[in-house]
Amino acid sequence: MLISYLRLFLLTFFTLILSSINSTQAAQPLRIAVSSNFAPVLKQLLPEFNQQTGVATQIISGVTGGLYQQIKYGAPYDVFLAADSLRPQKLAQENLIIPHSRKTYAFGQLALYSAKNPKLSWHNLKNITDNKSKRLAIANPKTAPYGKAAQQCLIKQGLWEQLKNHLIIGNNIGQTFQQVRSQAVTMGIVAYSQLKLNKLTGSLLPKNCYSPIKQQLVILKNTSQLEKSQQFSNFLLSSKIQQKIAQFGYLTKANTDD
Amino acid sequence: MIDADLMALFTTLKMATISTIILLLLGTPLAWWLANMQSKVKVIFEAIVALPIILPPTVLGFYLLIAFAPQSTLGQLWLQLTGSPLAFSFSAIVIGSVLYSLPFVVQPLQRAFEQLGDHYLEAATMLGAKPLDRFFSIVLPMTKASFITAASLGFAHTVGEFGIVLMIGGNIPDQTRVLSIAIFDHVEAFEYAQAQALSLSLLLASFVLLTLVYLLNYKKVSR
Repeated sequence: MLISYLRLFLLTFFTLILSSINSTQAAQPLRIAVSSNFAPVLKQLLPEFNQQTGVATQIISGVTGGLYQQIKYGAPYDVFLAADSLRPQKLAQENLIIPHSRKTYAFGQLALYSAKNPKLSWHNLKNITDNKSKRLAIANPKTAPYGKAAQQCLIKQGLWEQLKNHLIIGNNIGQTFQQVRSQAVTMGIVAYSQLKLNKLTGSLLPKNCYSPIKQQLVILKNTSQLEKSQQFSNFLLSSKIQQKIAQFGYLTKANTDD
Repeated sequence: MIDADLMALFTTLKMATISTIILLLLGTPLAWWLANMQSKVKVIFEAIVALPIILPPTVLGFYLLIAFAPQSTLGQLWLQLTGSPLAFSFSAIVIGSVLYSLPFVVQPLQRAFEQLGDHYLEAATMLGAKPLDRFFSIVLPMTKASFITAASLGFAHTVGEFGIVLMIGGNIPDQTRVLSIAIFDHVEAFEYAQAQALSLSLLLASFVLLTLVYLLNYKKVSR
């Protein structure tokens, strides 16, 4: 009896170990960890990549700071599309990326958005926040690059001290957008691309109030699919796709200096 | 339901089934040991087993993340054994679930073993039954209902897990994206219709499962 019990226990245990071995050996799709702001855009672009190369892909979207942390702890991603250059730089310093794979694929833009009041303008924000409804949604400045940039603008505008206890902090820019779009929060600072993609209007924040949201990609050192990762990187940086990315409300290298 | 959601359903059921099997294999001897423990040290072990009920999942998730990291001893050992990192894998969420749902399996079993009384077992010993024989031919049939309760609660609680899976599993489609995380994903992506479909099916399935558990207990008590 004892032996049969032990046997059953060991069997389960080894099945667990074996299943984890098998899962790494089976043909895997290319795993792309992508910052929340770019995930919906990537979803639109991937069918073309798949058609061109036949490479199957999987998207894991999340906040840049969180994905960075996961990668440090060994998350099995092939490519990481961050919303900043800070985390890709850190990964490079920590020797966790394929050398020279760090590339800028887009520059993000911030916009003030209110579902209730689409004509709300950034320049009027001060007057509005003086009134009753002070609630403003931004992404978490500690982990979300779009949140950090929003914080910079609020500080520069002299609104931070007054607003900081009335902010609704989203875990990532996707959550912040969702909070404003569902009208749970009256207004928020979101990614301009989110508005573009959903055919909504908002007020672009002046570029000089935040340091550029330089969105970089890296191929991770642990990838078992280096060739496909490189194909994907080339695809995203190709001029045709860069043009599309620009249409989705980002700035790209071709249109950054104007 | 779209393909990705079906995959999440499959991952969830796989996680919950494997976890429940491990929980029963681990929890039964543990519950038996606790039920028969005479020393006062017992309360410390009981407290440890009950911890996941009150701890925020983030606490357990945080410690497991550190333990599973490729730099840690356990992470290293796992990497050498299987060739793949432990953190953010299916195995990681199964281990997390087992710890997280342990009290839901151990506690009903412990109560059942405690209520069993000694005389049946003493009689069986007199007749020459070995310990494991006593367990399988007396204890198990007499506490069958509690085993079903324990397994159902362990299973249901594992299905309902969110925080730990998010922290140590990430959100990897065919590996660690379980239903609760798929719902979170849909809500964040403004896909309310899909979130609604998944939420409603989880709500109904959980309700049915719990009703069955209580029905079973009701029968046991009224008998």
